[in-house]
Amino acid sequence: MIRFFGHILTSVGSKVLVALSGLALAGFVVFHMLGNLQLFEGPEALNTYAAFLRDMPILLWTARVGLLGIAGLHIGLAVRLAVLNRRARPVGYAVREYRRASLSSRTMAVTGSLLLLFILFHLLHLTAGWVDTSFPDRLDLRGHRDVFGKVVHAFQNPLFVAVYLAGQAVLGLHLSHALSSSLQTLGVEHPLLDRLFRGAGPLVAVLVVVGNAAIILAVAFGLVRA
Amino acid sequence: MIVLDSKVPPGPLETKWDHHRFSEKLVSPNNKRRIDIIVVGSGLAGASAASTLGQLGYQVECFCFQDSPRRAHSIAAQGGINAAKNYQDDGDSVARLFYDTIKGGDFRSREANVYRLAQVSTQIVDQCVALGVPFAREYGGQLANRSFGGVQVSRTFYCRGQTGQQLLLGAYSALSWQIDRGQVTMHPRTEMLDLIVIDGHARGIVVRDLVSGAIRSHVAQAVVLATGGYSNIYFLSTNASGSNVTATYRAWKQGAAFANPCFTQIHPTAIPPSEEYQAKLTLMSESLRNDGRLWVPKQPGDVRSPDQIPQRERDYFLERRYPRFGNLVPRDVASRAVKQICDDGRGVGPGGHGVYLDLSDAIAQQGLEVVRERYGNLFDMYERITGEDAYKMPMRIYPAPHYTMGGLWVDYNLMSTIPGLFVVGEANFADHGANRLGASSLMQGLADGYFILPYTIGHYLATTKNEPVPHDHAEVRAATARVTDRIERLLAGKGRRTAGSFHRALGHIMWNACGMTRHRAGLKHALQTIPPLRYEFWRDVAVPGSGGTFNQELEYAGRVADYLEFAELLCHDALHREESCGAHFREEHQTPDGEPLRDDDRFAHVAAWEYVPNDQPRVHKEPLVFEFVKPATRNYQ
Amino acid sequence: MKFILNIWRQKGPAEKGRFVTYEAQDVSPDMSFLEMLDVVNQQLTLKGEEPVAFEYDCREGICGSCSLVINGMPHGPERGITACQLYMRRFSDGATITIEPWRARAFPIIKDLVVDRGALDRVMQAGGYISVHTGGAVDGNVLLIGKDRAEIAMDAASCIGCGACVAACKNASAMLFVAAKVSHLASLPQGEPERSRRAKAMVAAMDREGFGTCGNQYECEAVCPKSISVRFIAMLNREFLKATVAEPGPQAERPSDPHAESH
Repeated sequence: MIRFFGHILTSVGSKVLVALSGLALAGFVVFHMLGNLQLFEGPEALNTYAAFLRDMPILLWTARVGLLGIAGLHIGLAVRLAVLNRRARPVGYAVREYRRASLSSRTMAVTGSLLLLFILFHLLHLTAGWVDTSFPDRLDLRGHRDVFGKVVHAFQNPLFVAVYLAGQAVLGLHLSHALSSSLQTLGVEHPLLDRLFRGAGPLVAVLVVVGNAAIILAVAFGLVRA
Repeated sequence: MIVLDSKVPPGPLETKWDHHRFSEKLVSPNNKRRIDIIVVGSGLAGASAASTLGQLGYQVECFCFQDSPRRAHSIAAQGGINAAKNYQDDGDSVARLFYDTIKGGDFRSREANVYRLAQVSTQIVDQCVALGVPFAREYGGQLANRSFGGVQVSRTFYCRGQTGQQLLLGAYSALSWQIDRGQVTMHPRTEMLDLIVIDGHARGIVVRDLVSGAIRSHVAQAVVLATGGYSNIYFLSTNASGSNVTATYRAWKQGAAFANPCFTQIHPTAIPPSEEYQAKLTLMSESLRNDGRLWVPKQPGDVRSPDQIPQRERDYFLERRYPRFGNLVPRDVASRAVKQICDDGRGVGPGGHGVYLDLSDAIAQQGLEVVRERYGNLFDMYERITGEDAYKMPMRIYPAPHYTMGGLWVDYNLMSTIPGLFVVGEANFADHGANRLGASSLMQGLADGYFILPYTIGHYLATTKNEPVPHDHAEVRAATARVTDRIERLLAGKGRRTAGSFHRALGHIMWNACGMTRHRAGLKHALQTIPPLRYEFWRDVAVPGSGGTFNQELEYAGRVADYLEFAELLCHDALHREESCGAHFREEHQTPDGEPLRDDDRFAHVAAWEYVPNDQPRVHKEPLVFEFVKPATRNYQ
Repeated sequence: MKFILNIWRQKGPAEKGRFVTYEAQDVSPDMSFLEMLDVVNQQLTLKGEEPVAFEYDCREGICGSCSLVINGMPHGPERGITACQLYMRRFSDGATITIEPWRARAFPIIKDLVVDRGALDRVMQAGGYISVHTGGAVDGNVLLIGKDRAEIAMDAASCIGCGACVAACKNASAMLFVAAKVSHLASLPQGEPERSRRAKAMVAAMDREGFGTCGNQYECEAVCPKSISVRFIAMLNREFLKATVAEPGPQAERPSDPHAESH
């Protein structure tokens, strides 16, 4: 067991855990986006979906704690790796050019940190409701919490629209490198399928960003209204 | 006084090595732990010797001047390695490899050594495969072979065009294992600058730590030199910048005989020099001659672009002179023909140093795709260096100094005339005679290091009682003083000329007097011009900085200084050998059609030179007796 | 041609370095980059100044000695070659060229542009070999190796150990170097018995030397003079994972049976 932890603490071992936890978080992000798309089916659908999730407190809290744990592991190990990486080059280059490394791959630490801030903001805003108290928690006609109304209220405010769109940009950047990178870290490679693996990250990132942004913009432009 | 005893064991050729191995004394395992061996050089011969000796249980100290043992110049060998495996069932055998090698060497090598080389060649390939060398394979998984260097069988094993690299990395990995086990201590960036001889035995070396500049002495029970060849004496050669004669030359000055220094091989297919400051010549694989045709314009001074010159105004000179072998004549023959053409003023390109190597017929017959697949990387390399597209214009080639068959004299046990000083690889003279066949330098380096030296050194160690040497022994101090004095003298130069300019001047002298063709007057003239150049060197050389730091100019100046002395020895040998054999072509000794004339009655011997302080070197002769083969004339016409 | 050179000068590992500007004049476009530096150095030498230290040996792109970052790119602006194979015709006349050493904690600077790459050797010594004794090897054709497999091994084995991958990597990671070696030996049946131990030992050694970790940015592949594929990094990751999960160890307690051979 001690030896096993020894392997985890190696660079490759840590990276594998970052990749696995990252994949889990990315999976959550995808389902989160798909679920929220029910906004377009109207208040009833979204509120019922929200209620369905809330109705199973054990599952909900297991998921919440699990996600928190995974995120904690992801962030903790990523910070450790980032520190190692900074230390590996104490003196930088005066002139630096990149031939292949994408912007997204070079900014993972930055986008990761920004993403963390955005998620905290998002939780405080829409989950805990501490940021914006102008929208009172209320029940819809069926007695479900009016999540739909809350979302629409939020994105009628241009400030929130800007913050959330910026968050999506950061998320997209992070994801587009993260997914393909995870596959590489987990040792998935194939002479023919490599292009698919390399394309998977940007593709999923675009889908997630487009899905989420659609919700934000639809409200902002008044296509969906309460 | 040097005595040349070749110690060739008696008996039939086929069993000499087996009997010899049995009659040799062994060192008991317990004693091996207490024996230190110094290995200088970490190329194929050095790395394979150091790793095998370490694995046998000796304590090995291995030295190289590069930053890592993996960078030794063996890494640049392209073609392949020969082995008498007969996997192709095309009639190859140990006897045939032996005969090809001894004939290729123009009957100037020792039968017993060459036969042993052919015998162990098969083991080398097996050993390399076991070490993970990724040799080219057939689809069915068997080892692939190609034919190489104009022999009629396919016995060359290869790893793309990087065979030397892969074999060296194999030996380096074996060495890495022994370093990991603590059997070998590696000293990279450390250059041997002198040999310590005590009571007639080689007992250590003096080195300079190239990073700190510290001069240190290392003592041991035996010293192995694997320090490569000296083609860089010509300034422009295919060798790495760092390749030098210093270690073997210093050993010579301490009493080791230097054999056949004038046997230097010139490779025909290098990219010609193009500008004054060029530092090296890049080799292009000889395989280009399989499909390419060499030609020059018939009219001297014809400046038309090659595609404007019609067929009838071209001189395909190799095909004309050697109708039977055409463009595939051996290296020395092709190189000489090219030089003659250029000396007649018919060369092409800058300074007339070059002839066309034309693949357009091959492209027309076999199609561009086939040629591109076979030689694409060479065409790319040519374009990168010259800026010319070889698919449109024929390439230009010119011969370049490449390999030195000469080296320190060794007996059958690879021991020099100083007991306890062993010499392996290109640094010794043993196996290639007057000319080396393609794909056999890698074979010899590894044969010496993996399979021959580890046996023969044991006998010396088992039968010699060497007392431990204290580090303040008079001889150790004397050798250290020689080194420090020299460094001080180098630093005291007036700073008017760089070491590089002296090197270039020396290269010029040597290339003209002692290059592809030699003649008495030229050699005598060179012997007169070298000493003044050397005098000027010591007076004017510019070596900035100090001896106590990382100082590349100091390293280089020291090597040039040794070349400036060694050059004379080379000329003396070339002058002494009044015949044309192999790579050594004396203009006085040729047939009316310009073919070399060998003189077996007077020169069927190894010329081993002894250093005589303040006098001309003295020659000793080891007669070459051919019991099993009959020297024949090489005829490629 | 004429060039302005911005060259990193540093007297020793502990000294502070700085850029010094030199002018290279009368440069022929047929000169190699290193020959151009030779000329600058000859002039410095004659002036009694210390020439710029930089590493070179074979000058034909195989020994892996040369180690210059030219205008922010290890081995310079051209792909698939080492700095010694770079020719001045590639640059426009009058250009300013910045030359820096490999920069990584694992590669301390010895002088000017020369760094100590001993870390790579130590990683190799940790396990980059097949431990077979000299002599007694079986015939080379006993273990058949398909052409495809041999070619993959050769692709990986063509690494020249120059360290450009480390120099180029944003994280100064040596993964491509280690991956090439591990993949080369893992692709061959001869390397099979030690493959788990090798992968773990070499990764551990790489971490010990202070290299960074792989960010899968693939800059290493883009500057590798031998264009070694980052697919080998995936292979190394897989080797390491397999080695960790499989964790070979004794299946039984050490036998107490007196007949069992003990060492």
